[in-house]
Amino acid sequence: MITVNNRDELSWHDGMTVQDILDVMGYTYVLIMVTVNGVLVHSEDYSGTKVPDEADVRVIHIMHGG
Amino acid sequence: MIMADKISIVINGKPREIPEGTFLLDAVRKEGITVPTLCHHKDLMPSGTCRLCICEIEVRGKKKLVTACNYPVREPLEVWTDSETVTRHRRILAEMYLGRWPNVRAVREIAGLCGVSESRFKGRYTEEDPQSCILCGHCVRACREFALERILDFAGRGIHRHIAMPFNEVDPHCIGCTSCAYVCPTGAIQIVDDLNQPVDPQMIRDHGMKVNAEMANLDPVQCRMREVGTANIVDVMNQYDLLPVKNYKYGSHPEVWKIDSKMLKAKYFTQNMPDGCWKGCSMACAKTIDDFELRTGPYKGQKVCVDGPEYETAAGGSNMGCFDADFIAEFNFYCDTYGIDTISAATTIAFVMECFENGVIDTGVTGGLELNFGSGDEVLELLHQMARGEGFGVDVGQGIRWLKDKWENEYGADRKFMDDIGMETKGLEVSEYVTKESLAQQCGYGMAIKGPQHDEAWLIFMDMVNNELPTYEHKAEALHYFPLWRTWFGLYGLCKLCWNDVVPADNKMTSEPQKVPDHVNNYFKFVEGMTGIKLDEQKMLDQSARVYNLQRVMSRMLGYGTRRDDYMPYRALGPVTAEEYESRQDRYDKQLREIVGVDPEGRSTSEKIKILRDYREDQYDKTVSVVYRRRGWDDNGVPTVERLKELGIDLPELVAIVEKNRG
Ligand code: SF4
Ligand code: SF4
Ligand code: FES
Repeated sequence: MITVNNRDELSWHDGMTVQDILDVMGYTYVLIMVTVNGVLVHSEDYSGTKVPDEADVRVIHIMHGG
Repeated sequence: MIMADKISIVINGKPREIPEGTFLLDAVRKEGITVPTLCHHKDLMPSGTCRLCICEIEVRGKKKLVTACNYPVREPLEVWTDSETVTRHRRILAEMYLGRWPNVRAVREIAGLCGVSESRFKGRYTEEDPQSCILCGHCVRACREFALERILDFAGRGIHRHIAMPFNEVDPHCIGCTSCAYVCPTGAIQIVDDLNQPVDPQMIRDHGMKVNAEMANLDPVQCRMREVGTANIVDVMNQYDLLPVKNYKYGSHPEVWKIDSKMLKAKYFTQNMPDGCWKGCSMACAKTIDDFELRTGPYKGQKVCVDGPEYETAAGGSNMGCFDADFIAEFNFYCDTYGIDTISAATTIAFVMECFENGVIDTGVTGGLELNFGSGDEVLELLHQMARGEGFGVDVGQGIRWLKDKWENEYGADRKFMDDIGMETKGLEVSEYVTKESLAQQCGYGMAIKGPQHDEAWLIFMDMVNNELPTYEHKAEALHYFPLWRTWFGLYGLCKLCWNDVVPADNKMTSEPQKVPDHVNNYFKFVEGMTGIKLDEQKMLDQSARVYNLQRVMSRMLGYGTRRDDYMPYRALGPVTAEEYESRQDRYDKQLREIVGVDPEGRSTSEKIKILRDYREDQYDKTVSVVYRRRGWDDNGVPTVERLKELGIDLPELVAIVEKNRG
């Protein structure tokens, strides 16, 4: 089980990447920053970064507009 | 999200992985390798003209020389940055440059890097001036990419090549933005005059040019403001269930593709160039539809130019259930022509439609108009009536608050239902965002001084998506800071879009990315460069708080500005009707179970709506109280005398107003 934004829980599977999490959550917004257990992941590494079980994942959407 | 695949390359014998599409120069420089460049500029598109950055590569078994600055890596390769061939080429080039411009510092430095100190190529074309133009082309590209102009260009052939304005005359169309001078490495272009006599023009320029560079380089992969303007948000809001559909009942719709930014860009926006509020704006987010043929109204059959649509207008279409870009363009045009606000018009009509569909009013009231959701033709007729001062349009033009009173008084309409679904607060219609899942934004709207517009605070992502504001105190802090910061733009008359509609590439690394600290600092530097007054966050907040509190006191003078004026219709907080609840039943049931602590099993929808409503209204109430405290207001939302004192605006007449109305 991993936690997204300190609230939503997703079941973990072996080989799960940051991109998988973004897909499941429907996070398609451009201005986001992702951390896994407090470590920043760059956008070019979303598909290549594996997320460990029990990870604390934050997907921070930077607001724009308005 | 733009996702790049990784490519394996070998740089001077060292294997590396780089994102596909990276320019070779950036990849080798990342390794700390020095490569001489003249025409390259970090913020401008590469042009590949000076050829100093030449490197030797081997791709699929073939060796060749390429200019690294404009070579995007798309397949595995090996690169040598200082092979014998490379060094030989660079030395000859450096000698030629030095022969032509022996005293230009940038050229001398490059020559030094290439191991050249003397040139065999001096002669009649040698230019001794240390500020000679070296034909790097930075100015030409800055004019296009930063200022979106084409004032400068190369002219002449061979040795006569030079930089010129059209017909070698000073072009009156030059906007004097100074971008060209800013990027010129030799001083060949000089700024001769600073309009308005700022205290420190260089400070303004240093920070302004950063924004220009971000717009040129980051906007295409961030918000695409130059390409589609604010309409880019239609797609985003629909994806996150935040786009108002049918009077804010829902947050998304399967037919949104008919009005989203892709559709507008492909079939509507005709002026395929950025268009600014003023010439020189490098964001230039305005968009236009040319030759649009009107179907209705006084200009029926004529081809007109439509200024828009922007996000709010397109979302107003979905709020009225009209997923038809032709309709939205015509609605946009006539609202502009008649001087009607698209937000108030769309939100009011969406309310009218829901009342019509629920039998609150009928065709007897609407003068025969069948105002169901999605009926674009009737909406346009209503708009024309509004402008002509005829029929049902006269009533609708008065807005939601007025309609509720009239319909209750004259037809005995259900006041509670109308209060729940009529999206207005303080008499102003709500702008186009669904706030049901964001308590902070509900308050952002409800507590905004002039009514529920999003100009004071837009906190939906921070709150609902990111969960960055988990407590009342967090929400209150955001509802203290952001309204003051956003009010501050108005104090100085500065556009706020270059605050967060483009953000620096390293914004993520800052301690408070939502505030975009680097851009806040830009604004402080604009003020300091212009006036000499140094600002910091506290000074900014105090300047703004003076105006903000004064506005609140003025609201009191006008009969508003207390707690009862800061509530939102329940539609903004949660599902009013069974169809709304049931459309997102999983979400609401889960919340009842996990947050409210009530088992939804076996309960009717109306029962569940009631429980959720009690919970959410209580949450709203509590948040309002905490925000008031944070702002230095009493529990009725009136500024305390201490707060006015603190801000230096405790004038007797203001104190009298707040004291009189307290309680
Ligand atoms: S001042 Fe601006 S508009 Fe004029 S030539 Fe230079 S870059 Fe172009
Ligand atoms: S004027 Fe300056 S920026 Fe323009 S080409 Fe010449 S040296 Fe480069
Ligand atoms: S830097 Fe001039 S060609 Fe690459």
